Parts: sequence; C-alpha cells; structure tokens
Amino acid sequence: MRMKLDGAALCARDIHKAYRRHQVLAGVDLRVEPGQLAGVVGENGAGKSTLLRILAGTLAADRGTVDLAGSLGYCPQQPVLSDNLTVAQHLRYFAAAHRLPDVRRGEDLMVRLGFARYRDHSAGALSGGTRQKLNLTLALVHDPDVLLLDEPYQGFDWETYLQFWDLVDEMRNRGKAIVVITHLVFEQDRFDVLADLAGGRLNVRATPEPVNGGTDVRA
Amino acid sequence: MSALDLSTAPGNRPATIGQFPTALRFAVRNQTRNRLAAALLIGFVPAWYALMLAIVGHQQLVFRLFATGRVLAVDGGRMTLINAGLNALSMIVGFAVFDAIRKALAFDKRLVFAGYRQLTLIGAKTLSVAVVAAAVALYAAVVLLVFWRPQPAGWLSILAGYAVIALTYGAFGLLLGVLVKGDLEGFFLIIMGGLMDTFLQNPLGNPLANKPVLEWFPSFGPMQFAVGGAFAHAALWGHLALGLVWAGAFAAAGLIVFGLKTRIRNRRSVAPLWVRHTLHQAWRRG
Repeated sequence: MRMKLDGAALCARDIHKAYRRHQVLAGVDLRVEPGQLAGVVGENGAGKSTLLRILAGTLAADRGTVDLAGSLGYCPQQPVLSDNLTVAQHLRYFAAAHRLPDVRRGEDLMVRLGFARYRDHSAGALSGGTRQKLNLTLALVHDPDVLLLDEPYQGFDWETYLQFWDLVDEMRNRGKAIVVITHLVFEQDRFDVLADLAGGRLNVRATPEPVNGGTDVRA
Repeated sequence: MSALDLSTAPGNRPATIGQFPTALRFAVRNQTRNRLAAALLIGFVPAWYALMLAIVGHQQLVFRLFATGRVLAVDGGRMTLINAGLNALSMIVGFAVFDAIRKALAFDKRLVFAGYRQLTLIGAKTLSVAVVAAAVALYAAVVLLVFWRPQPAGWLSILAGYAVIALTYGAFGLLLGVLVKGDLEGFFLIIMGGLMDTFLQNPLGNPLANKPVLEWFPSFGPMQFAVGGAFAHAALWGHLALGLVWAGAFAAAGLIVFGLKTRIRNRRSVAPLWVRHTLHQAWRRG
C-alpha cells in the first residue's frame, strides 16, 4: 500500500462499502490535517457510522485506502463497556491496552467530564449519559493524534456538553486531528470543515479558514 | 489538564501497566460476577446431590471400566452422586463461562483494537476459565463429603474428574460464547448437552449403559477416572487425559473463533497497526 499523507493526519481515498446490494459508500475521499476539526453530517442511514468505522479500522471497506499518521482514538456511537467492571477498572484496562505507565490521564478526564464520583461503580449500574462519558474517556486515555467520534455527547448534560467542546478545542490546539459525526445544527459553526454524506459521497458544505497554518481541508 | 508526554524515548520508557495480570484479574472478576451461576453453585449442588441420592437409594448397579474391561458392582447411590456432580458442574461452569465470554466479546474487540495483544487476552481468558473451573470443582467435591466419605485417593480421583469436566464445559461455554448470539440458544445447548452427556454415563435405567458408544461423549473420561479411583483403586490416567483432550479441543476451537472475531478487520485496505506505529514514530521525529 502506498502512503500519501503529505502532512495530513488522516487521508481516506475512494472508500466503497456495500451491505449486500445496498451501496452505502461510493467513493468517499477525506483528508484532515493535524489541528483540524472535521464534522460529518448526513441523514439517518446515510452511512456516517459506517464511514467512521472504516476510518477507525473496525470495519473492512470493499475498496479504498485509509492512511493515518500517529495513534488513533475511536469513540463508537453505542458505548462498548464491560458491565461487571468498575469505571476505574475500565481506565486501568485501557491504560494497559495502550501500554501507559499509569491511569493519570484517564483520571483527569473523569474529573473533567464530571463522573469521578462513579469511579468505583460498575459500568452496568451507570446512567446512559455516564456510560457515554466513560465511552468517550476510553477513546481519549492515550491522548491520540487522530480522534474519531461518533455522536459522542448523546445523553450529556449541558455542563458536560460544554466541557466536551472545551476538550475538543484544546486537543485541536495541540495539533490533534478530529472527526466528529454530528446531527446538531446549532453546533456546526464549531467545525473547521463540515461535510455532508449523501449518495455515498462526502460533499464539503463550506470552505473553512485555514487553522493552525494548515493548508487545506478537503473532502 | 495537561496531556501526558507519550514521546518518551524507548530506552527511558517508564514501566507500563502489565497486560497479562490486568486481563487475568478482570477476566476472573467477569466470570465470578454472575450471581445466578453463584446461586446455582451454592444451592443447586447440594440439593442435586440430595435429590439424586433420594431417587436412587443404595441399589446395586453394574459399571464397566473400559480401560481394564472389569465390570464393577457398585453402590448405585454413590455412583449417582459422582454422576450428579459431573452433571451439575457441566451446567454451572458452562453457563458461567458462556455468559461472561458472550457479554465481553464486543469489549474484548475494543481492547484488541486499542492495542491489547490478542494472545495475551486469549491466554488470560484461558487461565481464568481454568481457575474458575478448578475452584468450582473443588467446591463440588467438598460438598460431596457431606453425603459420602470415600477413601482419600478415591476422593482425589473424583476431584480430578470434576476438574476435568469443569474445564471441558468451561471450554464448551467459551466456544458457545463466541459462536452463539442469543442467551437462549447457548443455555439450551449447555443444559441439553450436559444432561445428555453425563446422564448417559450413569448405568441407572439407561439402555446404553456400558456400551462402547459412551466413549464418544466428553464426560466419558472423567466418569471412568472418578469411578475407577473411587470404587476400584485404579488410576486410569489415559481416561483423564481423554477428558482433557475434549477440553483442549473445545478451547482451541473457541479461541480460534475468538481470535477471528476480535481481529482488526481492515488489513487489506487500511494501514495496519504496524504501519501506523511506523508512521507515528516518523511523524513524532518530524
């Protein structure tokens, strides 16, 4: 496979995916630079989650390539947790997965997203919103270079929602490349680039200003 | 909040959290948090012994030791206690492992994707099944002493037979846990499989009693070993090993499917992890 990142953090080319005869993605291209925040919007069933799973590598594409520079964090739409383990045990499990020396960053995130008081609660006993916070935290514990978030704030209260965007801004300012699937119209001005997924292709909705000296964002 | 510095030079990298001990600890925790299985273990095992003993009484039964060809005339109640233990263990361990493995599958996949070594996770799961199986087998063998006090060597034979049947059905539960999607199908297969398998080994009212066809069932080896040790002072190691072969076969099949189901899917079309790591290093070096 040839690598053509040319400074991009994430570069997907000509992604195709069909579920039997139903063609979901028909030639998606996406390029995200370090320090850029990209939003993907689209109707239900347009293939947003399919695209993100392919970008993350949890689903195989029928055709196309995805190149990534650096470590990856992926937050799936539905929380993927182990109900018998506590919040703290989840953090330890993922710190071990990423070969981290400790769980400090996970603990920091837990405080920041406002669920530290549940650290010794089993995941199965958490509310939907707290499960989603843990789900997001597990994608961030290793401070990834590329972050893929599939509607990550479902069930968040307003304070946590604002904290989430502060966190995203901070990561963007530190040069992280971030892709978020979103439904919310009122938050769309937060993105450097916004792309519509329709008819199996990504179409840029608006041309953004360059961020952090980046040259372009293309979809 | 400050970000952790992940760019530490390899030679100075601080000690990381161990993957194997972490996975083993949490796998054991997962398998021992099933309250229904725990209740079954504590309550069902003695109740099952008592019930089976009451049904059978002390009538004499004829049991064939296939390794030596000897036919033993034994106390049917005591033999049925051994058989009831095998039956209870097959269901309890099979159910506990099936439930734990099935529920954790998506999470395990996420762990592997996050960087957990698949072999480490598989090794920890296997060891956790063995630990749980051995502990449950020991409990069932200790409870047996309430109803019958065999010679120490005989009791150890029964314990070994129990441990092997627990391992076998633990491995069977593992296989079903990665293959079967619904609770009901898994429970049905474990209960019916365990009942058929173990009851056929008991000659009580069984038209297939002492027939060679029994050799083709997973509990054949453990039953032969336990009865041989308890009633004939014989250590039929080959039969115990036969039981372990069943356990190994179920475990191998289950772990292969587990490996396939938790693998990263996109090696054909997307940069595999080692490429990402290479790129990651190159990017960090600037």
